[in-house]
Amino acid sequence: MTEAVSRNRQSYWRRILGDTLVRWGARLGLVWVALLALVAVFAPFLASSIPLLVSQQGEISSPVLNYLTPLDVVLLCLFFTLLILWFLPMGLGKKLLILLGIGLLCGLAAMKWIEPPRLIIYEQYRVAESAGAYDWVLKAPIPWSPTDYLRDFGDTGLERPLDDEQRAHWFGTEQNGADVLSRMIHASRIALGIGFVATGIAMLLGVIIGGLMGYFSGVVDMIGMRLVEIFEAVPTLFLLLTFVAFFGRSLYIMMVIIGITSWPGYARYVRAEFLRLRKQDFVQAAVASGLPLGSILFRHMLPNGMGPVLVAASFGVASAILAEATLSFLGLGLVGDPSWGEMLNQAVQSSSFNWWMAAFPGGAIFMTVFAYNLIGEALRDAIDPYLGRAS
Amino acid sequence: MATYLLRRLLLMIPTLLGITLVVFVVMAASPGGISAQSLVEGQNLDPEAKKEIEAYYNKLYGLNDPPYMQYLRWLNNASPIGFVFDEENQIAGFSFTKGSDLGRSFRYGRPVLDLLGERVPITILLNVLSIPLVYILALLVGVRAATERGRSFDVSSGVIMLALWSVPTMLAGVLMIGFFANDQYWHWFPTAGLSDRQALDMPFMPHWANLGDIGLLFLSIAVFLSLYLYLARLSDLRLRAGLFALTGLGLGLAMVDGLSEQSQGLMLWILLPAVFALCSGWFATTEYDLMRVLGFALAGLVVGVLVAIYVMQGVWLRGYLVDRIWHLVLPVLCLSYGGFAGLAKLTRTSVLENLMADYARTARAKGLSDHVVLWRHVFRNSLLPLITVAASLLPSLLAGSVIVESIFSIEGMGKLAVEAVQTRDRELVLSITLIGGVLTLIGYLIADILYAIADPRVSYD
Repeated sequence: MTEAVSRNRQSYWRRILGDTLVRWGARLGLVWVALLALVAVFAPFLASSIPLLVSQQGEISSPVLNYLTPLDVVLLCLFFTLLILWFLPMGLGKKLLILLGIGLLCGLAAMKWIEPPRLIIYEQYRVAESAGAYDWVLKAPIPWSPTDYLRDFGDTGLERPLDDEQRAHWFGTEQNGADVLSRMIHASRIALGIGFVATGIAMLLGVIIGGLMGYFSGVVDMIGMRLVEIFEAVPTLFLLLTFVAFFGRSLYIMMVIIGITSWPGYARYVRAEFLRLRKQDFVQAAVASGLPLGSILFRHMLPNGMGPVLVAASFGVASAILAEATLSFLGLGLVGDPSWGEMLNQAVQSSSFNWWMAAFPGGAIFMTVFAYNLIGEALRDAIDPYLGRAS
Repeated sequence: MATYLLRRLLLMIPTLLGITLVVFVVMAASPGGISAQSLVEGQNLDPEAKKEIEAYYNKLYGLNDPPYMQYLRWLNNASPIGFVFDEENQIAGFSFTKGSDLGRSFRYGRPVLDLLGERVPITILLNVLSIPLVYILALLVGVRAATERGRSFDVSSGVIMLALWSVPTMLAGVLMIGFFANDQYWHWFPTAGLSDRQALDMPFMPHWANLGDIGLLFLSIAVFLSLYLYLARLSDLRLRAGLFALTGLGLGLAMVDGLSEQSQGLMLWILLPAVFALCSGWFATTEYDLMRVLGFALAGLVVGVLVAIYVMQGVWLRGYLVDRIWHLVLPVLCLSYGGFAGLAKLTRTSVLENLMADYARTARAKGLSDHVVLWRHVFRNSLLPLITVAASLLPSLLAGSVIVESIFSIEGMGKLAVEAVQTRDRELVLSITLIGGVLTLIGYLIADILYAIADPRVSYD
């Protein structure tokens, strides 16, 4: 009895979060995503041909720091800000604002001051090391950079996982001799970034359009639904293909396009929720007290109608990652930067079938998509326990 | 109903306009865009010839005109009614019978309609084969999961379906083609295309050199099929599981034996048969009779055919039909597993919703058996949401066929689409967008009509 009462006192969101987290599927999914995020943030320290620390005649220096790109620095800054903010007692909105501000500041500062050398000669450190120039060297756990083709060894090419005792490539190498695991680690950024940003854009558009549709109903709803129908009939993959083929291959364009083409689903959910909520007393009270539209929509109605949107968002992240992988697989992905889909494509391009080139990047895509789907499923069961597995 | 249909058909027009306009704007606004220069680019010609060809292209495709004129011209050509032009490109009149002309492809230099006429049927063949497979299997699994809610079948099938749903088509395709259509591993299936070149000259049905072999084939299949069907019905759980695990072990050993020398290893000799044996043993313990019988029948068929092939001496000609099926196995599998997993989850939800509805409780309360309640009352009502999903399944299958066709080198519409955008073939890109949009919208329309037929409560008037 007391338990039931205290349960009711919890806020809606806390309860949903708690109900989600008791499910092992959600836990596993979250663990994987968190691991991926860590790997993505610390990628330059995890997989790099450049030593982390070297001691040269008693003088300790860290060469890897010289090679950090602005993006690396921004990600690190954001990560540590997030870590600090997590423990500070503060409202969620304030935290988000601070995070955004620091992100922007870091971005500007990094763009201005950080200039990694254009030409990176990976061999120089290996050569210097074998020549005995250093007292000791601390290398990254995976001592290969994603675009380090190991030209100094001379015999590089395809290698099975753990084929060579001296040069341990955990997941083997691709045709040019670059380490597959290192490429995967650096590609995790693309997968995570595209998932979050594309879904964020889609969610923003969907919530605004769907919210207006549901709140006003009538003519606005009619027009909005036609818009939704048009966008749903657009063959998304094909539009993406066209966009990417005609407008250079940029990660940002991909994010925006995936976002723009996938908002109708969110709009539908928000519309349905808002149609249900608009005549309820608390909304009427908010209207009667003369609150501005933005406040009614986003402060009062949205938190009560956000459940289905979050479920859809979780699945949406998964499908955005899949969309990027598909594009890269079809040979329309980014140039230069490895991505999981592009690595799968590489596996097909080579004359012989090398299972490690397909299985590991493909497995990473699968694991990530599966993790998001598990989280989405658990969220849905928590929000709507009526049809869940536990009866 | 008729007015509704008319309204829907009319509403399709602005949608199609919108889609093609978006795609055209993307093409026209892109850096470089579509111009005669971009078509001639890369060809090693002297400047004068280049100019000549550019002028020719400009005249042929009207690439000199401002973009909106290009779009309007394309629209006018593509729509079945519109203006007709005379020799000097002046409007000669308005015609209702001019028919639609999708133009000529830049790259192939052929009418787009011909190209699509070759390619679309192949994509449709793939999809038509996948959809029934998807639905039958999904219903089998989904209905059972709903009735077993919370028990082991529900939980395990739920996780397996979610995992299957998350496997990217690229990964499945690449692994399938890598392991089952490759000389390095098992070369069971062809690597590319929909038929061998020789198969085009073969008779439709397979032929054998001597009649005994046919008899042998049928005999072997019949013997093993009935043996396994008998096994499936065995009530002794342990015996059943053990015997089926033995089959798995045998198949696994046969698979490793079929490998080339350098890819065999001790680990593989142990691991693969063990995994096979465990999986088949686990499968045999399921209490779901229908699924078990189907699985055992499949195993019987495979073993029967394998034994027959092993014993048969004579030469045989596989014929067009078997060749086509042989080519289709991997692509269809690859195309359908995702849809199957998604649909199975949906079926479960839908059946469960209906099982808990008041009318199902009433039916049970009046003394009907669970079987009758499920199949007579609940099942039919649960089909309704599945009809709606059929509409959205079609676009996703079309998108899936882009990947599948690229992996398996099938000359269908999906592959054409990728080639078209890669070579910036304006007419082809626009036409494929149009066809894709039309197919999607017709899918939605058919789903709505079916919905009205299946559910008398729904009326569109």
